[in-house]
Parts: sequence; C-alpha cells; structure tokens
Amino acid sequence: MATAKDKGLALCPKCHKLNPATAEPVICVRCHGKFYQRKRNSLQYTLAWNVAALLAFIPANLYPIMIVYQLGIGDEATILSGIGEFIEHGLYPIAIIIFTASIIVPLIKIIGLFVLVYKVHTGIRLKPDKHSKIYHILEFLGPWSMLDVFVVALMVTVVELGFVTSVAAGPAINYFTITVIFTMFAANSFDPRLLWDKQTSESVNNSSNTLSEQKDRNDK
Amino acid sequence: MDKKINTSLFVACQQCDAIYDKPHLKQGQLAKCNRCGSTLIERKVDSIERSFNWSLAGLMLMLPAILLPIMGVTLAGQFHQASLFDCILVLIDRGFFMIACLVFLFAIAVPIVRLAGALYLSYCFKFNKLKPSLLNFFRAYHHLDHWAMLNVFMLGIVVSMYKLLDDTELTINLGLLAFILWLICSTMSAVALDQDYIWDKLERKFPRSCIHGNC
Repeated sequence: MATAKDKGLALCPKCHKLNPATAEPVICVRCHGKFYQRKRNSLQYTLAWNVAALLAFIPANLYPIMIVYQLGIGDEATILSGIGEFIEHGLYPIAIIIFTASIIVPLIKIIGLFVLVYKVHTGIRLKPDKHSKIYHILEFLGPWSMLDVFVVALMVTVVELGFVTSVAAGPAINYFTITVIFTMFAANSFDPRLLWDKQTSESVNNSSNTLSEQKDRNDK
Repeated sequence: MDKKINTSLFVACQQCDAIYDKPHLKQGQLAKCNRCGSTLIERKVDSIERSFNWSLAGLMLMLPAILLPIMGVTLAGQFHQASLFDCILVLIDRGFFMIACLVFLFAIAVPIVRLAGALYLSYCFKFNKLKPSLLNFFRAYHHLDHWAMLNVFMLGIVVSMYKLLDDTELTINLGLLAFILWLICSTMSAVALDQDYIWDKLERKFPRSCIHGNC
C-alpha cells in the first residue's frame, strides 16, 4: 500500500490536508500551520516524557494522597492503602475502579509506550496493525487516570465540617497529576505512522507505478 | 514530479499514512482506512446546525452547572454542600493550588473555551460570515482536543458519592443534573462538528495555494 511519505506528500496534523513535502518544516497550504512530515524526534520525546512520568509515579505511591481528619486526628492514606481500606469496608466496585484508574492505567500506559518505542526503534517483531491498536487504547486511556485527583478534590471540598471531619490532600496528589499529564504528553508525542513506516519501505518501488497511473487519470 | 500531483484529489490516513483517492461522500457517510481501520474522512449530518444548537445549549447550562451545588453531606448535625465553583475556592483557600488549577483547567476552562469556540465557528458558518482569521482559530481549537475531562470528572463525582454514602448522609442537588446536561451538550457539540467540511469550505473561501501559483 502506498503512503503519502513515499509520494513526497505530508499530511497536516491539524487540518488533515495533504501538502507537498518540499522543505521541512512544511507550511500547510490550507491552515498555514507549520508541521513536519513525521512528528519530529517523536521517539526521543515519548521516551523522555515516559521516563519523567515513571519517576513521578514513585513518590505518588509512597506519599499519602489523602489525609482524613476525624475529631482532630489525622489518618493518612496512600493510593494503595486507600484501596485496602475500601476492600476492608466491602466496597469492591470502588476499589476496582480506583485500582484500575490510578495503578493499572498509568503503569500500562508507561510500559506500553516503552514497548512501542522499543519496537519502532529496533523493528523487531513489529506488527503495525496490532501495535497501532495498542496505541489507540493507550491514547484513549490517557485522561481517565485523572479520576483519583478529581475524587480527592471533591472529597476535600464536600467533606468540610470543621473539627468533626475534614479531608486534606496529601503531597502524593501533585506527583500523581504530574505522572498523568506526562503520560498524556508522551502518548501525544508518539507518532503512530512510524509503526507503519518500516513495513512500507519495502514496497516503495511498487507504489511509484500506481502514482504515475493516478497522475495520468488526473490529467484526463 | 511530485509537485504536479493535485493534492486535493487524495486523502491520507492520519494513523498510518496510507494514501487514497478522495472519496465523494454523502451526508452521514464515512470512509475508513483499509489498512489500520481508522476513519479517513467523515461527512456528518447537519453538522453546522447541530453543533450550533448543542454548543448554545451547553453555554446556557454552563452557569447552573458551575454555580449550583452538586452534592451535600450531613454528618453529626452539620450540613455542608459544594458546587464546582466552591470546589475551586475551597481548594485555593486550603492551599492546594495545583489541584485547584487542574480542576479549573480541565473541568471548567477547557470545556467552556471549547463550547465557545464551537459556537463561534458554527455561528460564522451558519450566517456566512467567514473570515480568514477562522483558519488560525480552528487550528488553535484542535490543541484542546485531548484536554477536556468532564467525563472523567463525572466519574469522579459518582465515585466520591459512593464513597460518602458509606458513612454520611448524602444529598444530591440540582447542580448534578445541570452538570450531567452540560457534559452531554459539550460532548455532543464536539462530536457534531464536521472538521473536514469546515476545512474544505475555509480552503475554498481563502485559497492560499493560488497566491503561490500552485493551483
């Protein structure tokens, strides 16, 4: 299958207009934005954001995320111990939702992007159709790990009954939001077209024929 | 040789870069990539009308959704309720600036800007007031694509309600209804906006390629 890159064309990421890729950066003829044929240094950016996210994920799990004050006595809870409390109280659905959103999803995103970057870089056992599906899932999951942050924000606001009960956010919440935002940046800076590039580089010769055919048809 | 290709006769897949002849679609049809299965182009039904109406409704619901209290708790005879706006005030008051910023950005600012942007765009198209600045405007609009998190916030409300239900008396207020409706409106206005149609029309109105002699 022919790609735009083989034909010397570049797709504008904002307005999806095909442009002749004459000089980098290309200036789009439709929306006048500057862009590159592939996201520039995509793998490096993804890797860098990913490492940063992974580093921020460590304090996010070690520090308390929420401190519940009851009659002046503070009770600190980390993400994992909070989930443990839910299980003790028998609130299994919440435990599963929080565990998925705040532990599994960030980890899957970070590991998944590492794997994708590695596969694209080395080209070992690269299955574009399968891996681009994985990328779509990772991209979709992005914002959902913010769930825990919003829950803590709501708890802090709603449960504010002075001395009787109040909730405070712990330092982990900052690290956790950094993790989530960095994984979103990482997913955004990855270019899924790189997954397909290696596969198509073999079929460049075939595609140049179809190009001339199509050109003939256009001239008529 | 490449320069002679008329680029408007082709479309390329955003996900895998495969190139196709541009299909002619009727309203409501969409073209999918053969190789990776993602949507190439889509013609949405009544795109301008629908996104105008949805975003107008969304902007009207914005104030009640933000200002009306979403839920309240009663514990040991004390009652306290909070709206989305209170949420930010309380967070700032107690020194949690980072979460306050995040909640403000992702649950208030970005959805409002997106709704207002969709309304402005569809207003300009509906009453045929196209201007070249719309090109930049619509390009900037796409920067916010990933950052509206009303749906996540909604799940956050549900989770914290379930959490509070365990040991307090929970009351649900009108704000929750307004918030749900606001969420629906902002999602629908983003879904209804037909990007390809808008770009095509803007391109035909303000062709830049002609200035450079490419057409």
